Amino acid sequence: MTAFIVRRLAFVVLVLTAVSMLVFTITSLLPANVAYLILGSFAPPEQVKALELKLGLTDPIWQQYIRWATGFLSGDLGESPLLKRPIAPMLWEAVSRSLMLTGFSFVLIALIGIGLGLLAALRHGRTLDHGISVATYLGIAVPEFFWSIIVIIVFASWLGWLPASGYEPMSEGVWVWFKHLIAPTMTLVFGHLAHVSRLTRSSMIEVMQSPYVNAARAKGLPERVVVMRHALRNALLPTITVLALDFGRLMGGIVVVETVFAYPGLGRLVVFSIQNRDLPTLQAAILVVAAIYAFANLIADLLYAWLNPKIRFGVHVN
Amino acid sequence: MISVEDLTVRYRTPDGDIEALSSISFDVARGSTLALVGESGSGKSTIALAAMGILPSEASIASGRIMFAGKDLMALSAGQRRDIRGSRMGLVFQDPFSVLNPSLRIGEQVGEGLVHKRGYTPKQALVRAVELLDEVGIRQPGVVAQAYPHQLSGGMRQRALIAGALATEPELLILDEPTTALDVTIEAQILELLERLRVQRNLTMIFISHNLGVVRRISDQVAVLYAGQIVERGPTEALLRNPVHPYSKGLLAAIPRIGERKTRLASIPGRLPDLRRPPVGCRFSSRCPFVIAECSAPQQLHEISLRTVRCGRAAAVEAEPWTSVVDGPVSSIGPKSRASETIVAVDQLTKSFTIGHTPLAFDGWRPRRTPIRISPVKGVSLSITAGEALGLVGESGSGKTTLGRTILRLIDPQSGSIHFAGDDVSRLPQRQLEPMRRAAQIVFQNPDSSLNPRKTVGELLSRPLVRFRIAAAADVPARVKALLDLVRLPAHYTNRYAHQMSGGEKQRIGIALALATEPRFIVCDEPVSALDVSVQAAIINLLADLRDRLGVAYLFISHDISVVAHLCDRIAVMRQGELVEIGPVDEIILRPQHGYTRSLVAAVPRIDGAPSIAAIGSQ
Amino acid sequence: MPLQLKAGLLITALIIGLSVLAPWIAPHPWDTISMRTRFLPPNSIYWLGTDEYGRDVLSRLLMGGRLSLMMGVSATLVSLVIGVPMGLAAGYFGGWIEEGLMRLADVMMAIPPIMLGLLVLAVTPPALWKTAVAVGFVYIPPIARLTRSVTLTLAGEDFVQAARARAESPTYILFREILPNAWPPLIVEASLRVTYAILLGSALSFLGLGAQPPSSDWGLMIAEARSFLDRAPWLALAPGFAMCALVIGINLIGDGARERLDPRLKARVGKSV
Repeated sequence: MTAFIVRRLAFVVLVLTAVSMLVFTITSLLPANVAYLILGSFAPPEQVKALELKLGLTDPIWQQYIRWATGFLSGDLGESPLLKRPIAPMLWEAVSRSLMLTGFSFVLIALIGIGLGLLAALRHGRTLDHGISVATYLGIAVPEFFWSIIVIIVFASWLGWLPASGYEPMSEGVWVWFKHLIAPTMTLVFGHLAHVSRLTRSSMIEVMQSPYVNAARAKGLPERVVVMRHALRNALLPTITVLALDFGRLMGGIVVVETVFAYPGLGRLVVFSIQNRDLPTLQAAILVVAAIYAFANLIADLLYAWLNPKIRFGVHVN
Repeated sequence: MISVEDLTVRYRTPDGDIEALSSISFDVARGSTLALVGESGSGKSTIALAAMGILPSEASIASGRIMFAGKDLMALSAGQRRDIRGSRMGLVFQDPFSVLNPSLRIGEQVGEGLVHKRGYTPKQALVRAVELLDEVGIRQPGVVAQAYPHQLSGGMRQRALIAGALATEPELLILDEPTTALDVTIEAQILELLERLRVQRNLTMIFISHNLGVVRRISDQVAVLYAGQIVERGPTEALLRNPVHPYSKGLLAAIPRIGERKTRLASIPGRLPDLRRPPVGCRFSSRCPFVIAECSAPQQLHEISLRTVRCGRAAAVEAEPWTSVVDGPVSSIGPKSRASETIVAVDQLTKSFTIGHTPLAFDGWRPRRTPIRISPVKGVSLSITAGEALGLVGESGSGKTTLGRTILRLIDPQSGSIHFAGDDVSRLPQRQLEPMRRAAQIVFQNPDSSLNPRKTVGELLSRPLVRFRIAAAADVPARVKALLDLVRLPAHYTNRYAHQMSGGEKQRIGIALALATEPRFIVCDEPVSALDVSVQAAIINLLADLRDRLGVAYLFISHDISVVAHLCDRIAVMRQGELVEIGPVDEIILRPQHGYTRSLVAAVPRIDGAPSIAAIGSQ
Repeated sequence: MPLQLKAGLLITALIIGLSVLAPWIAPHPWDTISMRTRFLPPNSIYWLGTDEYGRDVLSRLLMGGRLSLMMGVSATLVSLVIGVPMGLAAGYFGGWIEEGLMRLADVMMAIPPIMLGLLVLAVTPPALWKTAVAVGFVYIPPIARLTRSVTLTLAGEDFVQAARARAESPTYILFREILPNAWPPLIVEASLRVTYAILLGSALSFLGLGAQPPSSDWGLMIAEARSFLDRAPWLALAPGFAMCALVIGINLIGDGARERLDPRLKARVGKSV
């Protein structure tokens, strides 16, 4: 197991290194000039040249990458040429807000999604199952940006219960803070529930028809024991993997949702830095997203291995 | 103990209802064993599920009742049936590999019946589970109880399943093909275990199997099923010695018997009737050589010489032997006239695979991971002469298939040499193997996998002809027809896809495909293992004919010694990658030299000869 | 035919038909600005109302359907054309080819699709065809992975061994033996990918990195309607519901077709993300 963890960790590091190179290469193609960003569009060319030289922008790209990467590893993310502020504190603040949002949504998605999936599977072929199936079809078909529009129309314009956008820190009062979280959370949950519940349903149905569940029934065990003890644990294994992938999807989902709700998190930071060609901020933000995503996958892998005796104990037939 | 009266079960399918069981009636006395015998599609497993009350939701019981210990099971509530299930009657399923829950420990699964049926605490149940595992002959039961299913071998899993079914001390045990997935030596051990348990516990058993040899070993009474009906029922020995119903006669005649050499096996032509619209009269009539006009009327059960037989002509055909058209032509190349040229010579052939690595260790400062290798083939030497059939037997994992595919260079050998028709082909690159590829072919076990599902028979058969320029483009259709004729299929099969044919027909196409290149040598890799007995006989006859007519040499791989002994000239025995013995059939069967060969031959359940097998240690 | 498949075909055919015929059946010009008809709610002349420039929403919707469909289909074609050969090669040859291709896919999949799309699009001035290419690029890894796993399953089948025993070339085996059997699951997956592509593409348009005004791309229509949710909610609802109907229709077809796949290959489709 230890070797397994080490191997997976090494893989995460490798992927992140590759991602950082990819991001660095793509962003360096952007038609933006950091020197002009700092000095303003009408700066005299000699001044720009001098600054470029000073910042090392004329060096070969691999040298720039190494400089950037070593800085990144030592915690120095550089300064945003646009906002003229160090990136690190700005980024961490955005990350913490986004994690708050995605964390809430993730817990709700996991609980409701698995619950709905199990309910549908246990009522397989009956009205409740059909009802849940139709609802999840809608969930898959409606894009996040449209969910957010619906949430705004219904809860902000029509009912007037929730603020349509914005963010307030907790210091303004817990309720005020919480109220601003509800609408984006709801949007993310609506948008991502369907994957989890559909997968849980299909894997539970498959397991309920498996030979070992049939064998458990042949032992005359009460249905409750058959479901909870024999079926559930095996059925939830694939769901765990999908939940991790969903955490990654949530990191994508915040791009749209934070933009619509004017929620100052990581997603909005990415869109903002792309729109304004703020390369250092963009590079750092995307790398952080990839890291969160990779670690979510890592945790899922480990959880999967831990719950699956075939991996935990290896195969050794006597 | 249990009696089934007039049971009819239907399955709903998208293409209409299937009558899986039609008025099945039998009873089993306390302490005795009834065997239900039949080929695939006979409905034998449905009986087990119906008796346990766990039919799938698309099945429904149309009529009949099941009496268990004086109670009508159909009249009970779902809860009352569940109380009986697993407590007074137990079920052991066919495939030990998928029936155990992968995420629960063996001990938990063996003991859980006790927790829910007998009020044990989980701790007490575990203690008892260890005792039970010991009782079914598992060494180190304490360790095994803590293991997960994937850590055990097939035989051990089947023992654990039996232990689990026995935990609550049921009076009736239903076993659905409990040994089919296992090797013969393990099968013999499981049968021995069941026999011992039956005596010790006065168990009543219903034993479902397609293997008449196994049935003979374990049961007092036999019921033969065909297309959802019981066609014959009676005492085991009498029925196997003198079957009355034509289907039973055919089934018994189709089985190759060790020590009895015949040129051809009897076979049953035709196929199972469509159960969506079963014939009103005798369901076997379309395949029966004794058929007369009256057979198209519904058939009643007749009592005849201790038997119950569903055949109006029972009295008339009782003494008649099974007659099938022996479809082999007169051999043109007799065994004597074969050339003695060596076609395949294999010397010290070894193949090993790396299946993984040991955990990272440090050799000083150097990281080191030792590869874990398995060697399915270790230093095998053998030769096959033109027109000879060499049988290759061994249990699962003995390396038979790897050896066969290595000889054909479908797998590259590690060391050793392969000579084909005098040329060393063991090191040639794939591109230079063309002459050998044309002369050496392969027939696979499972035609569902070996026939490309997206191609018609015509496309399949013409490809090798085009590939090796065996026929001019204009002659290809004629050659395809000739090939179909060679494997006795009508010419209009050229337009069929694999899924439009039965298992036996698909295997015939598989053989035709191998013959298309006019090979001198064919590796037959378990070509009949996936087929029912009656179909198997026809395929074996076909292979025998082709050898005699075309002089093709075979490497015939099989786990079934009786089939190999029937078809082959010599037998090679493999164990754990090594060739332990090779020699003429009679020598190997009658005077095996190696201990392993002896135990392998002894373990084969026979339908005649000595009633019980030679004792083998149960460990 | 199962009900699911029937319903899916009906919905999809309807939307495709209406979109294709849009230039002829649209009741009004889709891009004529008229300040006198601004923000009209749905009525008997403008069935779905008008927008902030007085343009007919229904006509814009019909024209926009063409854009969404073309975007989804061409993006999927891009990912198929590159992803399928990648997956075939990785699955059949194994070794370093497989390692290299699959690790590349891992790296691409470590960034959420929408951010990868944003990154790619940020490099050049936005245009719809670029969005299609970017979305196609983003969905190469899942297509390659599916193709690889289907190829692996099929390469283990005996008919591939039989072909090797006939000394067939790897090209013949890949394209004549394996690929014909790999198509059904790939087509099912591709139909589901079309819906993902439509959703992702319109999300990018929504963020301003796809279609540009005055285009009537559905994502852009919703983005423009955001400022008027209080006054004219129909502006956002009409394209939103149209998109849902299209996605549901294609999904129903994909799911219905998946039910009919070979069970050996069925489990693999639709689980990759």
